[in-house]
Amino acid sequence: MRRTLEDTLFGAPSPRTRALTRAGNFVAAGALLLLAAGIAYRFHSAGQLEPRYWQFFAWPTTWAFLAKGLLGTLASAAMSAVIALSLGLMLMLGRLSRLRLVRWPSIAAIEFLRGTPTLLLIYLCFLVLPSIGVKLSTYWMLTLPIGFSTAAVVAEVYRAGVLAVPRGQTDAARSLGMTGTQVFFTIVFPQALRYIVPALVAQLVIVVKDTTFGYVVTYGELMQNAKVLIANYHSLVPVYLVVAALYCLVNYGISRASRRLGRPMH
Amino acid sequence: MGDVAKLLADHGPAFWQALLLTWKLTALAFVPGFALGVAVAALRLFPLAPLRACLAFYVEIFRNIPSVALLIFIVFALPDLEVVIDYEHSVVLTLALVCSAFTADYLRTGINTIPSGQIEAALSLGMRPARVISSIVLPQALRSVVQPITSLLIALMLSTSLASQVPMPGRELTALVSKMGNDAAIGMAAFMVAAAMYVATGLLIAWAGATLDRKVRILR
Repeated sequence: MRRTLEDTLFGAPSPRTRALTRAGNFVAAGALLLLAAGIAYRFHSAGQLEPRYWQFFAWPTTWAFLAKGLLGTLASAAMSAVIALSLGLMLMLGRLSRLRLVRWPSIAAIEFLRGTPTLLLIYLCFLVLPSIGVKLSTYWMLTLPIGFSTAAVVAEVYRAGVLAVPRGQTDAARSLGMTGTQVFFTIVFPQALRYIVPALVAQLVIVVKDTTFGYVVTYGELMQNAKVLIANYHSLVPVYLVVAALYCLVNYGISRASRRLGRPMH
Repeated sequence: MGDVAKLLADHGPAFWQALLLTWKLTALAFVPGFALGVAVAALRLFPLAPLRACLAFYVEIFRNIPSVALLIFIVFALPDLEVVIDYEHSVVLTLALVCSAFTADYLRTGINTIPSGQIEAALSLGMRPARVISSIVLPQALRSVVQPITSLLIALMLSTSLASQVPMPGRELTALVSKMGNDAAIGMAAFMVAAAMYVATGLLIAWAGATLDRKVRILR
């Protein structure tokens, strides 16, 4: 196994370096403890550690409500991911098409959706679509913009994967008499998918983050439910801390899963 | 097209100001965020276990937290802890923290591409580890991460749209459009103008990044 860069750098410390490291560890640990104590003291002095701000976390109803919000987040994220994966495939096929009439609109759509903030697209669904007579539920007002803007990114990820498959694979398959469509869907695309799994999962993390905008359209996801809790218990800091921790846990879990998937397959 | 022309005649200056504010927020968040990210990546190399654990925690937190959740925490929850930051600084702080975590993460990947033979060579020349990091490791790592940092900068530019979630005195593009949408039925034109400005800025950054990458890339 290759040594890590840190091991090479600090692998064989001299006695002096070892002493320095030990001293450095003490200083770093002390500084971090001081920082933690300072934050805890700030909580205490601002009265944020009073039980009335925290006691409702002991009630199962609070957690049921938060779980419902998390479920809303995941429902929207899952549907966005489905839209992104399928629409992204179509956009990518359009972009790689030999017909200019298909290719150029695809490129325009990709650049537009990729280059515009998701929040702007959400406002588009929220403010403009009703005025031209399109009525969407809050779920779709959140899910469609996220799905569409992610689709454009996913299209580019797919394309990078497809271009990374060695040219000889296509040539070999073609010389066996397979049609262009067959070659793409049975030879090139399955291999491309393996290259891009980590990048796709990274997009999934971004989708989960984007669903936070649900409170803009008052869709009942985690952030929106957190606001309801805060309105009920006047407890800003604890609720936001718990919600932030939940988001971090979900996204960290997804990233960890992707690291396992991303390992090379032989 | 007539819609867009009329819109630009009526609100042209407002759109320019909004675009400039978007650029300003992007720059204000990117510069300190990037510098902080480089510092975090460099400090994570030192064999100080508590520091490493703390920085790893820092990176994971700010990489995984949704920016909006962080912004809302800074704007609405921190005052309860007697820390009051004005709206514009809150937005810049949010984006800079997120940017620093991603920068540190990408740099880590860049650092991993450096062959360990170079480190051994530098050490055998008598360089101290800190010197090796600052003059061998970081320069090469920085040159190899131009592309991901370009994407990060574009994402950061798009994320300035979350400034529309706090009542800032100035309005950036998304805030301007949502304000116009709330005041009157504006139709598609305003959205298209704002979207075109975002797309153009993104393409500009992408082009600059690609040019820089061609100049500094190390071929291995």
